[in-house]
Amino acid sequence: MSSRHVWMMFQKELLDIWRDTKTWIAALVIPFLVIPSIIYLMTQSISNVEQEARAYVPIVITGDTSQGLVAHLQKEPGVKLLTAADPIQAVKEGAARAVIMIPPKLDQALRQGALVNMEVWYDAANQKSVYARELIEKSVRTYEEGIVSKRLEAAGLTSAAMHPISLSVSNLASQERVSGSMLASIVPLMLMLALASGGIPVATDIVAGEKDRGTLETLITAPVSAQSILTAKLLTVMTMGLVSSLASGASLMWVLRMQPKEGEKLTISFLQPESAVLLLGTLVLLSAFFAAVELCLSTIARSPREAHIYMTPVAFLALIPSYLIMPLTPADIPFAYYLLPIFNGAALLKEIFYGQIEPWHVLIVLSTSLLYVVLTISLAAALFRREGLLVK
Amino acid sequence: MEPVTVKGISKCFGTITAVEPLTFSIRKGEVLGLIGENGAGKTTTMRMMATILKPSTGEIRINGYCVQKEAMAVRTQIGILFGGDVGMYNRLTARENIAFFGTLYGLAGMELNKRIDDLADMLEMGAFIDRRVGPFSRGMKQKVAIARTLVHDPQVILLDEPTTGLDVSAAVIFRQLITTMRQAGKTILFSSHNMGEIEKLCDRVAIMHKGKLLFHGTIPALRAKSSIHDLDDLFVHLVTGGKPIE
Ligand SMILES: Nc1ncnc2c1ncn2[C@@H]1O[C@H](COP(=O)(O)OP(=O)(O)OP(=O)(O)O)[C@@H](O)[C@H]1O
Ligand SMILES: [Mg+2]
Repeated sequence: MSSRHVWMMFQKELLDIWRDTKTWIAALVIPFLVIPSIIYLMTQSISNVEQEARAYVPIVITGDTSQGLVAHLQKEPGVKLLTAADPIQAVKEGAARAVIMIPPKLDQALRQGALVNMEVWYDAANQKSVYARELIEKSVRTYEEGIVSKRLEAAGLTSAAMHPISLSVSNLASQERVSGSMLASIVPLMLMLALASGGIPVATDIVAGEKDRGTLETLITAPVSAQSILTAKLLTVMTMGLVSSLASGASLMWVLRMQPKEGEKLTISFLQPESAVLLLGTLVLLSAFFAAVELCLSTIARSPREAHIYMTPVAFLALIPSYLIMPLTPADIPFAYYLLPIFNGAALLKEIFYGQIEPWHVLIVLSTSLLYVVLTISLAAALFRREGLLVK
Repeated sequence: MEPVTVKGISKCFGTITAVEPLTFSIRKGEVLGLIGENGAGKTTTMRMMATILKPSTGEIRINGYCVQKEAMAVRTQIGILFGGDVGMYNRLTARENIAFFGTLYGLAGMELNKRIDDLADMLEMGAFIDRRVGPFSRGMKQKVAIARTLVHDPQVILLDEPTTGLDVSAAVIFRQLITTMRQAGKTILFSSHNMGEIEKLCDRVAIMHKGKLLFHGTIPALRAKSSIHDLDDLFVHLVTGGKPIE
């Protein structure tokens, strides 16, 4: 293998890709456009629905509307009383959020110490209706508390008699840890997907595509070894996978920076220099693994179309381990995951973002990853040397 | 010793025998024409000579280097041009395409640029040498491919249907180029379906049919085989085993 040849070919591949707008769209625009949009849409639509649910809560009160509870309900922020010929239908259609039926002479019955039943109808499939129900429940409970404290007073007791224990809860996790655990669930998935899919268009093009166009046939008649050609192509595919995953990471940071100032914020300040280096190392090993797998598939394929069909499962393959690991905390990750390909990388990414890096795990993951990289590259090299696989 | 010696090479793909044991040689400064119907085994033979395919039997030597055992050395000696659709890096310019191969053969800097300019002059590609090859016509691409094949000034040149797609004037330029190269002492194997071209350019011809070598010798020697004057008719006569043409 000649490093000069590798460098010449690598440069040529990059120049070729640099001039190919479509590849850039796939590798960069998707992380920079799709990821922020998804996160934005998710947070926006959640907060929009919430805001709307709070701002305007149309409810229908049926039964005895002369009772004190009606005025109490009306004081709740956002509540508007509606009248409807068919209140149940109004909830079903979304015009009203909930219906409450107040029994006749409620106040009188309560003064007499009776147990009263009150009915509420809402639409569990409608998030805003659910909010209206919660509001009604809360309002009824505070109304009830007023009555209870009057009764206690009459009996010569304070409300402490009803709630003798007061509970104060403190959160031990710093804002960084909270961010870390939230990011630890989604970021490895995102990075993994970008690593695997970022290299696919290029991997398809530079072996199956070149085979189809006949340029590979010419290249192998030049005095360059199969290893040099493979190494250059491997570096190219790795570069694209890494660029794509770094773009996803950068886009995520950008989204985090764009968050509104107030309220809970996600940050990546928990990422220390050492863990950043480890993160980069893990990404490089994973990208080498994916690149080698993709080059194997592209070499076996008889046409770019066929290569594309073979590559589709690669992105899924990358997602499954990340998906399985997503809900786990590092302590819950089964040991076997640290040994299996892709799983091991996903597990380590989780630890890095969680801020709980176990040195022993780092050692296992890096060495097993290296082993898988060596195995897949050897397979790719064997295929590359196989007669006839590089010509149409 | 002759620059190209092919001794008893054959090639099987599974159960198909594409080339049956074949023996021929090409001298220094000689143009050997390779003729045969579609599927006769011409491309397969050239691929074996170019180290892409391993012969099932036999031995090929190029400038003394064994194709099977000294593939890297052989590759520095040869320049090969494949027929059919010309494969190029479409997003690179003609110059970049040629230069890329030049660097793989160890050329660089001024020397490489001068070589490319000379080839561009010879093949009349000056007008488009710095344009990207993607939108080129087939003939323009073919010229770039020829320049790419010759960039390292190879001693042995294998040309598989090089004039396919070239217009009349480009074909004339190409023939002049071959003549120049022959005078410079190059050894050339040249396949074509155009008998007129073969007759104009080649010192000797090899006729292949269904993987077998039917004839290897000069054109006068070929003509002496039959009284048929037209070379196309003579070729058909030969490959059909002397049966009359329907
Ligand atoms: N990789 C391969 N696998 C299987 N069979 C092949 C392969 N390459 C060539 N062949 C077969 O070998 C035979 C010779 O093919 P070849 O391409 O050498 O012919 P050719 O003389 O160049 O024809 P043409 O004039 O059409 O270019 C054909 O029957 C072809 O189908
Ligand atoms: Mg052919």
